Amino acid sequence: MTPERRISEAELHAYLDSELTAEDRAEVEELLAAQPVELGLVRDFRDLNEAIAQRYASRLEAPLPERMKQVLATMPEHGGAELASGRRRWMQVAAAALIAVLAAAAGYAVRGLTVPTRSPESAFVATAIGAHSVYVPEVRHPVEVGAAEEAHLVQWLTKRLGANVRAPTLSPLGWKLVGGRLLPDRGLPAAQFMYEDGAGRRLTLYMRKETGLNNTAFQFAERDGFAAFYWVDRPLAYAIAGRLQRDELMGLANAIYGQLEQR
Amino acid sequence: MPSRRDAVAAEIPRLRRYARALTGDDGEADDLIQDTLERALARLGQWRDGDSPRKWLFSILHNLHVDGLRRKSRRPPHVGLDSVGADHSAPAADGASGRDLDLALQLLPSEQREVVLLVGLEGLSYAEAAEVLAIPIGTVMSRLARGRGRLRALMGYEGGYEGGGKSGQAPLRRVK
Repeated sequence: MTPERRISEAELHAYLDSELTAEDRAEVEELLAAQPVELGLVRDFRDLNEAIAQRYASRLEAPLPERMKQVLATMPEHGGAELASGRRRWMQVAAAALIAVLAAAAGYAVRGLTVPTRSPESAFVATAIGAHSVYVPEVRHPVEVGAAEEAHLVQWLTKRLGANVRAPTLSPLGWKLVGGRLLPDRGLPAAQFMYEDGAGRRLTLYMRKETGLNNTAFQFAERDGFAAFYWVDRPLAYAIAGRLQRDELMGLANAIYGQLEQR
Repeated sequence: MPSRRDAVAAEIPRLRRYARALTGDDGEADDLIQDTLERALARLGQWRDGDSPRKWLFSILHNLHVDGLRRKSRRPPHVGLDSVGADHSAPAADGASGRDLDLALQLLPSEQREVVLLVGLEGLSYAEAAEVLAIPIGTVMSRLARGRGRLRALMGYEGGYEGGGKSGQAPLRRVK
């Protein structure tokens, strides 16, 4: 038999892992037929793969632990929905920023002629951030009703706001409910829930009826070192605020939206 | 289009299987998956629309695993190899060789174990494995060859073939 070139180690694995083109595959198969040592290796490696697959197959069937189910439950339900796409959402944010710049430029151009008015949405976010910055530093009275009376708190706020209020569960993400309070917002009742993480950082979720708000798109805002996300899920408008990085806040906003949205 | 939650949920069994083989321990594996899911949830925005979440989730898992190893290496080891073996008695259904295989995998360097499992167990292509581990494809291939060669030797396939050369010397039959 004429001495053929030997199959390289890389080729041998690539053959095993179906990484070769049909042409190269045919060539290796031909070579293997004449190289029993390499053929033996291919078989051994294939056997090893099968043994590994068999050894760990039972993990595929293992029931999900409760804590994993909880994290899943906080994930947004809808894949293609407007609110589920981080990228699209950032485009909205970018668009909102652009509009803000244009509006500012326009305002600048006609300054002196008109009194610049703030959009109802940005006023809402400003109120939410304001409420956040007032109550978050409180050590003794951060909330009106504590998390120990969560059911009562939710029931009371639902009644006062005239809409179904819920306090999302953020404990799988490391945020514990501290409690909540009722607040006035331009003559309307508003509610604030406060959360705290293991490091003592605080986060608030602010809500009221969406009356007077036109823009329902998800928006990001930053003000005085606080970051906030705003969205409307009729009949309520929401804003979460905290001294957090955008990514982290967005993850939380996603989780909250996902929970509140499912009925 | 399936919901994001369903798409992530669908990956969990494979993630758990991989983590179990990678860590050699049920509890450690599930802790790793729990952390992976929490980080994924906090970073949903990074997941590009329309993509399968598989690569994304595997790379989160990989990063957390590497972080964990770094933390562990700063602590003195308190478990000897003998007790590692004893701790992992396999369920009867997995057969007598289960424990040996589990132990043999743990004896591979972590980088080699990752590649052997991502490609051999989870069926990722070389390109996908390279992306998940953030290494060049050439590195995937060399780690794979070395890892498999070592595993073959550890599992007592006759000849103790180690990747990296002299494959011509390896015999054909195995001991068991």
